[in-house]
Amino acid sequence: MTIIKRRHFLGGSAMIGAGLMAGGMPRLANAQSTEITVTAFGGVWEEAVRKCFVAPFEAKTKAKANVSLGGPPQWLAQVEANQAKPPVDVLIMTPDLALTAAKSGLVDDFTVDKIPNLAKIPKELTDSVMGKGTLFDYGVGGITFHKERVKNPPKSFAEFVDRVSKGEFVASVPSIAYAVTPIMLIWAMAKALGGGVDNVDPFFKAMAKMKDNLVFWGGPNDFFNHLSSGEAEVGIYFDGRTWNHYDSGATWIDFINPEEGGSLNGVAVQKPKNANPLAWEYINEILDAQNQTKFADIMNYGVTNSDVVYSDKIKPRITPWQKTAFPPYEQIAQVRNEWVDRWNREIGR
Amino acid sequence: MSDTSLQQTLPSRRTRLLAPPLLALPAVLFLVVFFVLPLIDNGMRSVIANDGGFTLSRYASLLTDGFYLWIIAQTVLLSAGVTIISIIIGYPVAYFLVRKAGRFSGLIIFLLIAPLLTSIIMRTFGWQVLFARRGLVNNLLVDQLGILSAPLRLTNSPEIAIAALVHVLVPFMVLSIATVLQGIDTRLEESAKILGANRLRTFFEVTLPLSLDGIGTGAILVFMIANGSFVTLVLLGGGMQTLPLMIYQQFNTTRDFGMASAMSMILLVIAVFCLFLQLRLVRRKGA
Repeated sequence: MTIIKRRHFLGGSAMIGAGLMAGGMPRLANAQSTEITVTAFGGVWEEAVRKCFVAPFEAKTKAKANVSLGGPPQWLAQVEANQAKPPVDVLIMTPDLALTAAKSGLVDDFTVDKIPNLAKIPKELTDSVMGKGTLFDYGVGGITFHKERVKNPPKSFAEFVDRVSKGEFVASVPSIAYAVTPIMLIWAMAKALGGGVDNVDPFFKAMAKMKDNLVFWGGPNDFFNHLSSGEAEVGIYFDGRTWNHYDSGATWIDFINPEEGGSLNGVAVQKPKNANPLAWEYINEILDAQNQTKFADIMNYGVTNSDVVYSDKIKPRITPWQKTAFPPYEQIAQVRNEWVDRWNREIGR
Repeated sequence: MSDTSLQQTLPSRRTRLLAPPLLALPAVLFLVVFFVLPLIDNGMRSVIANDGGFTLSRYASLLTDGFYLWIIAQTVLLSAGVTIISIIIGYPVAYFLVRKAGRFSGLIIFLLIAPLLTSIIMRTFGWQVLFARRGLVNNLLVDQLGILSAPLRLTNSPEIAIAALVHVLVPFMVLSIATVLQGIDTRLEESAKILGANRLRTFFEVTLPLSLDGIGTGAILVFMIANGSFVTLVLLGGGMQTLPLMIYQQFNTTRDFGMASAMSMILLVIAVFCLFLQLRLVRRKGA
């Protein structure tokens, strides 16, 4: 029988430790200079990021970009927890979280000398996140519907509320568990119904009227299931995702940008402080017109480089960002938690 | 063998004393690193205010605000409801499995475990497909059989979420009860019958008390899993709110990590308290 003595155990552990120090650490140090970690949402998003941004970056720099999948709250928490050595070098963020990161001093300023393609991005989109990042892609939150079951869809938020309240159809709207709900639903509908960031009463009144004919989606695929299974006929959803479903064979789905203007739901790119400087080159690829054109073709979302010319297929699907309702992200971030609390008490059961 | 060679072969007293703690070391380290330290960190976060000072305001809010009390009550009621329904459904199945199924017992166990082989998201979407307003069940009732004039709203409600949770958790109950039922000596039941007890009395006075350990184990498993359930409630609950959903919301939407930590500590205390109560109950009845 082999008897493990404490001396053997400690000796073995020390050897393993020494081996890691000798062999592993230089590899880690080496990885820092030639590899970066970038972020992407899952599914088609990841594919598009790899094809449109990672591939050209790797071809130009001969460096490697590892893709970390997840969501903005998780990435921001990771950067907050390790500010000296952030685990991701490029952040993909919702604008409200991008503002949180900017105000907390977690991210670097965006300038044209670091990112030449930034010159092609409208200034308003960079200013919207305090110049510590910029919006590179956006979707519009509007009315998506099953066109075989809804022949005459609502054209505005007001009509949507009116007809859902009357029970003409069941609507699927984002639940409060979905991070963008305060912008794409609460603010957008409040504004459309005469309120705004300082007054969301019209939204809560509308929800109270519609409550018997509402279902809630927890994630984008959940919404698609509601429509395809017949649980709902219409809903509040994104244009790009609607067209993705359409291109995947769900030709019964359609989208309307409401008359009042659907909310612009931008995606910001940011670089954490102390991240690998190679991240600037990757961000430059994200903002490149040619790469963004490819990205828009895959994602069916609008992109922000002013030189982008959309293909004939997606041009009619894209709402120019100037024609959307541009949310006051900073003000929304200040009252978001109050809205969530009110939702919990008035709508959540 | 000489005394000297025997001494060399046998482990020294010191080695024998050290071996058991050393063998337990990996498990202890694992628990400390992945359970105890995170738990301490979580507890600390829940009492550290945004300005860095000490605060109990989050706990005060959670334990005095009617809204949060209702969320806590709803979480416990949901878990208790799922547990009770699982016992009601699971006990007869376990009894049949042990006493009546014979050569079909393998097939029954397979059928019980089969739902666990698919992802919880697929199972939940399955409920949506079956019970949606234009789903299979409503189509049958409205279009095929003509029993109803309009489809029923069956999904997106607490009731359907409870049904879906029971569907997933009943196997844990059945297997826990079946294991204990299998160990009960049937001669005890026969003796009761010989002494004049009818089948019902035999069951309630002999079989059931002897199988309480199985019910207790199953109840603990089901209660704990239901207490922390998330996906089923998000997809089928229709806006129903429980503590796990609120914790997710604090991380994902409001980024109030302190509140999320306080909520998770309360969830943990509820789970431990209910575990303690159930164990006490089962031991007392069993005794």
